[in-house]
Amino acid sequence: MPTLTIDGRTVSVPEGKTILEAAEAAGVRVPHFCWHRALGALGACRLCAVTVLDGPQKGVRMACLTPVQEGMRVSTLDESSWNMRRSVIEWLMANHPHDCPVCDEGGECQLQDMTVAGNHAVRRQRGRKRTFHNQDLGPFIEHEMNRCIACYRCVRTYRDYCGGDDFGVLGSRDRVYFGRFRPGRLLSPFSGNLVDVCPTGTLTDKTSRFRARPWDLEEASSVCPHCALGCAVIPGGRYRELLRVRADPRPQPNDGFLCDRGRFGYGYANRADRPRQARLEGRPGTLAEAVAALRERVEGIARQHGPEAVLLLGSARATVEANALLSLWARRLGAADPVFDLAARRDGAARIFARAAPALRATLADVRQADLTLVCGADPLAEGPLLALALRQAARRGAAVRVIDPRPVPLVCEAERLPLAPTLVPEALRFLAGGNGAGLSQEVLQPLAETKRLFDAARRPVVIGSAEGLGPDGVRALLALVAGASRPDRDAKAALLLPGPSSFACARLASAVPNAQDLRRRLGGGKIRAVVALEVDPLAEAPPAVTGVIEKAELFAALDYLPTATVGRANLFLPSAGPYEQDGAFCDFAGRLRAFARVLRPGTPILHTGKGNHPPRTFSPDVPGGDAAPAWEILAEILGISGGLSGARAEIEKAFSFLQGLAGLRADARDERVLPGGEPPAPPGAPAGPEPAGLRLLLSDPFVGWEPLSAHAAVLEVLRPEDAVYLNPAELARLGLAPGARARVEAQELSEIRVARAADLPPGLAWVVRRRGSALSRLPAGEVFACRVAREEGA
Amino acid sequence: MKLWRSIRGTLDAFWITLRTLFRRPATIAWPEKRRAPAERFRARIVLTRDPQGKERCVACYLCSAACPVSCISMQSAEAPDGRRYAAWFRINFARCIFCGLCAEACPTRAIQMTPDYEMCRRDPLSLLYEKEDLLIDGPGKDPHYDFYRHAGIGVAAPRGTLPGERPPEDPGSLLP
Ligand code: SF4
Ligand code: SF4
Ligand code: SF4
Ligand code: SF4
Ligand code: FES
Repeated sequence: MPTLTIDGRTVSVPEGKTILEAAEAAGVRVPHFCWHRALGALGACRLCAVTVLDGPQKGVRMACLTPVQEGMRVSTLDESSWNMRRSVIEWLMANHPHDCPVCDEGGECQLQDMTVAGNHAVRRQRGRKRTFHNQDLGPFIEHEMNRCIACYRCVRTYRDYCGGDDFGVLGSRDRVYFGRFRPGRLLSPFSGNLVDVCPTGTLTDKTSRFRARPWDLEEASSVCPHCALGCAVIPGGRYRELLRVRADPRPQPNDGFLCDRGRFGYGYANRADRPRQARLEGRPGTLAEAVAALRERVEGIARQHGPEAVLLLGSARATVEANALLSLWARRLGAADPVFDLAARRDGAARIFARAAPALRATLADVRQADLTLVCGADPLAEGPLLALALRQAARRGAAVRVIDPRPVPLVCEAERLPLAPTLVPEALRFLAGGNGAGLSQEVLQPLAETKRLFDAARRPVVIGSAEGLGPDGVRALLALVAGASRPDRDAKAALLLPGPSSFACARLASAVPNAQDLRRRLGGGKIRAVVALEVDPLAEAPPAVTGVIEKAELFAALDYLPTATVGRANLFLPSAGPYEQDGAFCDFAGRLRAFARVLRPGTPILHTGKGNHPPRTFSPDVPGGDAAPAWEILAEILGISGGLSGARAEIEKAFSFLQGLAGLRADARDERVLPGGEPPAPPGAPAGPEPAGLRLLLSDPFVGWEPLSAHAAVLEVLRPEDAVYLNPAELARLGLAPGARARVEAQELSEIRVARAADLPPGLAWVVRRRGSALSRLPAGEVFACRVAREEGA
Repeated sequence: MKLWRSIRGTLDAFWITLRTLFRRPATIAWPEKRRAPAERFRARIVLTRDPQGKERCVACYLCSAACPVSCISMQSAEAPDGRRYAAWFRINFARCIFCGLCAEACPTRAIQMTPDYEMCRRDPLSLLYEKEDLLIDGPGKDPHYDFYRHAGIGVAAPRGTLPGERPPEDPGSLLP
């Protein structure tokens, strides 16, 4: 640990660190453009000049490139390095346009800050300025090349960190150009990170182009609600409109990066058709009326027909508080636990994982540090995109990535795939744990044995699955594998991708034993008379057998902020606040509780109330469309819990001991609280049913198009996959389907027309990617169903 | 002593009134008579146009940031030709203190102070000026300044064609 002094402050840092990192540790700010915590040093901008007063090489040095040495004395205020930095700014500004007023970076621009800090006000250079043409980079990123300072942060982010290959640097000398070979949409699902890393206005967020200045934005530390990974985000809004989402630059949990779904999928909050008014039997009313009606009617039905007539539906996207209060309500009514997930298999898998020992549950940081990663029955890019990025960081450090999956799972790093029928994946996991591989064919066992050798040799292996893909049986095998492999010198961990930001807590709130049969019995008995859907859309997510019962209920109440099918059908509707419009907590896929703070109050954006023009010239103390309240607040009111959020949290902590510590979480400090493990449910006695014969249908989720929030964000429409059914080429030929032909897919009495496409799949498998609103998508993902695929004649 | 001070204080006031009665008043009989304010008098604010007659304001929010009483609000937007402009722009003159900081902050010379101080109303709502009320037809002070001709991002004229700009580079070229 060399010790050095920087501007008179003494600091010790580990061997191999640079002066710049030591300065950060000492709290001395060294100006820089090209250095970035996650991307490292490059030495391109020369702004980080400091003077080494004492050390092996005295004089002006680049702080980001010079390793620290024992006894160094460094000054950032010395005249020689100060002059150098000032000159660097002046050179950079020589070609810079004169356009801060129309530049979206203005107000948070590093170049602007440095120009002011360097006292540069008048351009002394007399020559003409260099110009470039811009490119259309698609609907997310705006390009203004004249503003570029050639720091190479974008290329290092896009190509090195995110694994994209359609953006890079072109040209030579002072003409270097950062863009695509041809104009067009950036194809990486992590393209939005360019906005955060570019220190100038060259690459800016097109979805909020010219909408606001950063100093006018209301911002808060929040947690991304678009998947279970719980990335740290800082959303910003103004005039009751959510305008952008940026990554929290702090390293944990997501290393300061986001996926495009989490960054650009915020449009659901601003929709003109967002339901903002309470509705009672088709009649508009106030929220207070609707809350009173909900309590009275549910309690009335429970009194009259017994608590089993009440079905409460929890949700993976509602806050932990709202779900916990829903559980509490069920207890008070004497009703069965709420159903947190209508997909029974996924639900069962999540409940097992939610009770695994905390030491076995991998976080994103664990994945980034892993030396071997296995992806089994999971599609990280769709179900937890940042996990795919974490896998890439592991691969960049030399980790091998193996995929065991029937689908050609896309990743952003090199990976070796073993295609395996979906039902065989758990068996493969058992083989890796030392099983005999019964049921696996010889050509599978051979590569699997090779993977097992790698796994046994790895010191920090992480095995990644998904609740959907693995099911209860697979999750048991997954946990057995990592538990068996963990030794004092070896840290094997498992990650399970879950459907939403509260899934883990929901799975914990639910009883250990899945109540799938129980649910079927409850629905089948014809007893259900009241259904309360808490921020969930059962009509789009459950098969007809379930939705039929729900729709027939005497009371069908919905709390939501999205214009879903369920909201349209409900006979009692309560507008709830969106995730960025309330304080609350989510629980990530590794069981870490994280609190988030409110960004905006709910209300109709001024953009809509003014119809694009100025706000109406009338005054009223009420906020238009501002009736919505956080779901936890509505439920606390029903339960008679006072004291706002802290009152509700205190009550929740009392009722659910594993949520202890919820009240103490601070959003700004990004506190986290690890949920303890629990008693895992005993394995079921009965083996899984027989595999359906003939063609089987497998459904899975896309990056965009299924996750409920981003599916309601219009700007992401371009990322929606085609409505296709994928088959392997031999199967296509057998069915007489040419790639691109229209095919009718039928399963479980649902049918839909899709475009036939060839894909690298095991024989006998038809694969469909779900889209919210399509008929087949009401079947749960991950399970296999007998199906029929036939050519559809006619137009 | 105290008593004497009180008596003097009372009489003084009467004396001043009496004396002033025969002086020429400092006030004028507005509105029959009007003062000509100085050229740089700071009163009613206007939004000006550039020499081509286009709106100068680019809705950069600098004036609203500079305003110490926060009486300027606006919403920026993008026009089809790439110009940034104010979809709406509102000044609440019931709150404005005519300090002129907005005009000083404006990088495009769009917002300017005029000498028109005659703007008292009974209804505060009528002091809420929208963009149509603020926009005038001419350039006001600095009549030749056109921000977009200096901005260097190809809005007023194709990129690289204005004085002070080189023609756009060809990033495909690898020549030294
Ligand atoms: S990049 Fe920064 S310095 Fe350049 S125009 Fe934009 S805000 Fe101004
Ligand atoms: S585009 Fe931005 S990040 Fe890339 S080199 Fe230019 S200034 Fe740096
Ligand atoms: S990976 Fe998940 S949590 Fe992270 S930004 Fe993307 S959608 Fe949000
Ligand atoms: S400072 Fe000038 S250009 Fe900017 S918003 Fe105000 S009036 Fe418009
Ligand atoms: S930060 Fe050191 S050269 Fe750019």
